[in-house]
Amino acid sequence: MKISRRNFVKLSAATAAAAAFGAQSLSALTDKVNLDLQSGEEQELEDKFSGYDVKYTYDSYCPSECGLEVWTKDGKVEKIYGNYADPYNHGKMCGKGPLGAGLAYSLGRIKYPMMRVGARGEGKFKRVSWDEALDHIATKIVDIKKKHGGESIIVDTGDMTDTPPYYRMGRGMGAPHITEHGSICDTPRRFGPRVFIDGKRWEPDLMRPTLVRQSDGSLKEMGYDDLPLPKYIMYVGWNPFTATRIHYESRGTVTAQIKGCKVIVVDPAMCTTAAQATANGGMWVPILPGTDNHFLAAILRHILEKGYEDKAFIDEYCTGVEEFTSAFKSYWDKTDSSNGMKYFTMEWAADKTTLSKDKIVEIAEIIGTTKPGAICWGMNGVGHRYAGYIASMLGTAINVVMGNFEAPGGTIDCNQVRISKGGNAGGGFFNGREVTRTVNGKPVTGKQKELHMDEMSDWPAGWYDVVGDHPRRILEGIEIKYGPFKGYKYPIKARFEIGGNTVITGSATWKWQEMYAARDPETGEYKLELAVSIDSLLLENALYADVILPAAHYFERYGIADIYPSAPVAVMREPVIKPLGESKTQVEIMNAITKALYEHGDTDIDPNEFWLKYTHDDIFWNEVMEPTPGVKNVGEPLPYPNLPEGYKLLGTPDSLEAGRVTIDDEKKVIHGEPITMDWLRKNQGVAVWPMAWRRYKQAVKTGSGKIEFVWSKLEEENEKIKGGPRPYGFELLEKYTGDVWDEYPTTFFWYEPPYNPANPTYAATTEKYPFQVITARVHQGMTATYANPQQGETPCDSTWWPLNREFEAEVAEWVTVGNDGSEMPKGEIKVVNKRFRRGTYCVATCSMNPDDAKAYGVVTGDVVTIENMLGKTQKNVVLVTHTIRPGVLKLPFGAGGRFSPGVGTTYQQRDYTANVNEFVDPNLLTPIFGFPGYLDIQARIVAVEKPTFATI
Amino acid sequence: MVKKYGFVIDLRKCVACYGCQSSCRMENKMPMGVNRARVGIIDTGEYPNNHRFFLPVLCNHCDNPPCVKACPTPGATYKRDDGLVLVNEKLCIGCGYCVKACPYDARFINPSTMVADKCTYCAHRIAEGLEEPACVRNCIGHARYFGDMNDPNSEISRLLAENETEVLREGFGTKPNTYYIMDNRAKLLDVSGVDER
Repeated sequence: MKISRRNFVKLSAATAAAAAFGAQSLSALTDKVNLDLQSGEEQELEDKFSGYDVKYTYDSYCPSECGLEVWTKDGKVEKIYGNYADPYNHGKMCGKGPLGAGLAYSLGRIKYPMMRVGARGEGKFKRVSWDEALDHIATKIVDIKKKHGGESIIVDTGDMTDTPPYYRMGRGMGAPHITEHGSICDTPRRFGPRVFIDGKRWEPDLMRPTLVRQSDGSLKEMGYDDLPLPKYIMYVGWNPFTATRIHYESRGTVTAQIKGCKVIVVDPAMCTTAAQATANGGMWVPILPGTDNHFLAAILRHILEKGYEDKAFIDEYCTGVEEFTSAFKSYWDKTDSSNGMKYFTMEWAADKTTLSKDKIVEIAEIIGTTKPGAICWGMNGVGHRYAGYIASMLGTAINVVMGNFEAPGGTIDCNQVRISKGGNAGGGFFNGREVTRTVNGKPVTGKQKELHMDEMSDWPAGWYDVVGDHPRRILEGIEIKYGPFKGYKYPIKARFEIGGNTVITGSATWKWQEMYAARDPETGEYKLELAVSIDSLLLENALYADVILPAAHYFERYGIADIYPSAPVAVMREPVIKPLGESKTQVEIMNAITKALYEHGDTDIDPNEFWLKYTHDDIFWNEVMEPTPGVKNVGEPLPYPNLPEGYKLLGTPDSLEAGRVTIDDEKKVIHGEPITMDWLRKNQGVAVWPMAWRRYKQAVKTGSGKIEFVWSKLEEENEKIKGGPRPYGFELLEKYTGDVWDEYPTTFFWYEPPYNPANPTYAATTEKYPFQVITARVHQGMTATYANPQQGETPCDSTWWPLNREFEAEVAEWVTVGNDGSEMPKGEIKVVNKRFRRGTYCVATCSMNPDDAKAYGVVTGDVVTIENMLGKTQKNVVLVTHTIRPGVLKLPFGAGGRFSPGVGTTYQQRDYTANVNEFVDPNLLTPIFGFPGYLDIQARIVAVEKPTFATI
Repeated sequence: MVKKYGFVIDLRKCVACYGCQSSCRMENKMPMGVNRARVGIIDTGEYPNNHRFFLPVLCNHCDNPPCVKACPTPGATYKRDDGLVLVNEKLCIGCGYCVKACPYDARFINPSTMVADKCTYCAHRIAEGLEEPACVRNCIGHARYFGDMNDPNSEISRLLAENETEVLREGFGTKPNTYYIMDNRAKLLDVSGVDER
């Protein structure tokens, strides 16, 4: 017998414990762990595993942030597996995670501070010391603050959940606007949950295993066979198998499907999820892009007409349903002048969506008569559309009226049940700092946050910040329109961007380039005086930076993930390898920048709030977890029957379980033992608290404590704008749709999608530009992950396909040294000059239906020139495929037209792949959140190129 | 009893994430351009009645392996008692006969070592008692299973007993040990035994 799996699992579990006392090498553990091994086996184990260290951390390959078990040897990453202790991915990894070393050791890695030497965008930099870089930043910031105040600084913290140090840094230096990638990703998707329950993302109840309290008081891990699962799931514009943003939806959906769940995928393209559904008894519903609203409205009407709604649930847990339904029903007798049909009828929806009436009725019947089930909408449609609010509102309403919200096997708002974190560490309290500004000649004192560039100015309800509008705001300047500073004007002069790439992702690329290049007519200096990029990879954004600081890669830094589980989970990140070059962790960078500011005379900086306090990253992250988990002891079954119901829970799962708590009855808080990085190290990097269902008392954070069909969130905003100017978004709404808003809608509302064939206002554009360009993420692709050359061999969704031209590139790849099964595979990552033959490597691909292809004389491999409704043209190679409906071109986002050499092999394809965000209308910003209409693009094909000897 | 290793892929659960391919590359230090574990994408039919299927493939560790017969160097490619078909890198001369002999395209010449290369069912992990290849270890759809088919209590034996399975290119007489639990494709295609390649 050799090491058994049972022993190995014990061994794995014990390594975390070992980490706590500093002995991380597996070989050092054998005598402690495998006591039941026969003599001699220990030696064998030691030989085989000699030199491997195992650590538990989490991924940032994509924002799914899966728990990892990473094996390192000689300071290098060798093996990457999922961490079984994390119920989110439960030991599993998609095609991205195992290739993490390809990113860490990418040729695009930024390892040293750099400063720009050419013009912005030219990409010419010189290596400098940290001191030199910090001196430049601090000198500029102190000068800018002196002239314009801290409000003239933006800190954009990018797309990860380990950014609280940057929030603290920004707020600490006086910047009220700390933004994140979340503001340019699917905010319309979150609209419904946000206004109905103050939530965010609704996902099917599929996360298994999960810890559930049993009737005998014990806690048991329950799996797919033990608990109810959805009987139907309808994914509208959501492709979980590809995005894997909600990791457990992959295993959960296929498992539920085998157990009889009907999976319905509404998408103009047969995405991976749709393909799997149709192969297993589900449905692909190839809807006309942008008509999800019409589709869902007809379903809701059908449910109400048939009386399918769960009246008892509505009566007990909802408020304002009557107002909502009467606003909804007020359309029922109206005739839509565009087609002469009554609004929200099946005929009307069939006409708008181009689906058959029978199909919509069939789906409405499934939803109206099957329980439990879930409707889930995502970023492939609803989430990235100008009119996406409406589908989000309708999806939320249908899930609620059918009583599926928080039902076992129903739908769960992951945001409401995930852990709280950040607390004071995030520096929110700095926003309460008193500041004085001269407004119209008079001194006015208010709070730092009352200078917010969005919420107190053009976007009063821009709760997620409005990154898509940054270029315009930087070019035009800010005027405060509400609150004490009303009338105060200031410019934006500095912008930090951390781990993001807004030049590619934040609305139209050309608009961002225009902003970075703009100069002050008087001084001749750049309007945005300081652009700082803090990242581990050289992306397009960095090409426009004045200073680039090397951030530690996710294998090299700390953090706490909260992600989107259906029960509270906290996962720890800690370095598994040393930071490469001179890169630093987030806390180190926060400390370095604030210290430099202090030394340059910035009086806002208190050393005790930064480098004197956070002398080790752990101290910061322990503070981040002070409010964790921060969920209430509510639901069925009650998570902790030994503790008072309804009280907020703080502290480690084991202390709460054992009742090692103090109870504050006044504040209704239960304090267990604080959760710390050390506690996590002893527990395989993960803390898991019990699952429960029907957590309405906790999950509904609205003013009324109920699920609100009349939205107090927006009523508050209407109070704010009373007497002030009409919000900027309302002006845009009128321009693009003709609808006039004088205040925010507070219950059901409707407007037609712009740049859409279903909207007769756009008939002329539709005639000239007959295609709709839709876009979605490629499984492998965040804009940074294209820097990993290995991702070029994993096709995806007809939009990432091996259609490359022959090219040569330097890549860092595994070189096999020895590997015949007789011993551990040996290999090392080496820089290799590699030739890629035509048709062997995936590139951004435009998928096109064969009927359209025939009409334009296009075959797979041809390169089409696409022109959008604004006259912008780009080229893209085509895949002719039945997986897309006619009249639609689908391109991936972030995959094409990439012009930073830092993305290596993907950079090589820029001449025949499109950066789809060049097609986005930068002024098309949604009326409430100011979100770019990424999928509202009409286009035509103006040229077709056939491959020639020169391009083969 | 001597073990006999086999592999089950539940096609109903593959989500085409390529985690198997990536995990194999990571585990076995594979350079780009070659893969021991792959995922095929098969399109059939015409819009809107078309279908797309995913077919993960790897070495079948056949009971009647044509690659072993094709090898001119004794012992360079061989079948073990437990069913594994392996390559001895020290003996292999890189002639490529086995690559051509394999009807599953499961073998290739590794550009780093210049000798034949293929899936080993992660034999190095088995040697350490980890009867779970890296592709199974990380599979997010729980579509991949590995184990001892001679042990009636193993998960793989249970799956084989409870489900109808198929093997690839049965007609070649290779007696593959990778079994597929099918989705509805045979029904949807209205043909049986479609050539997946």
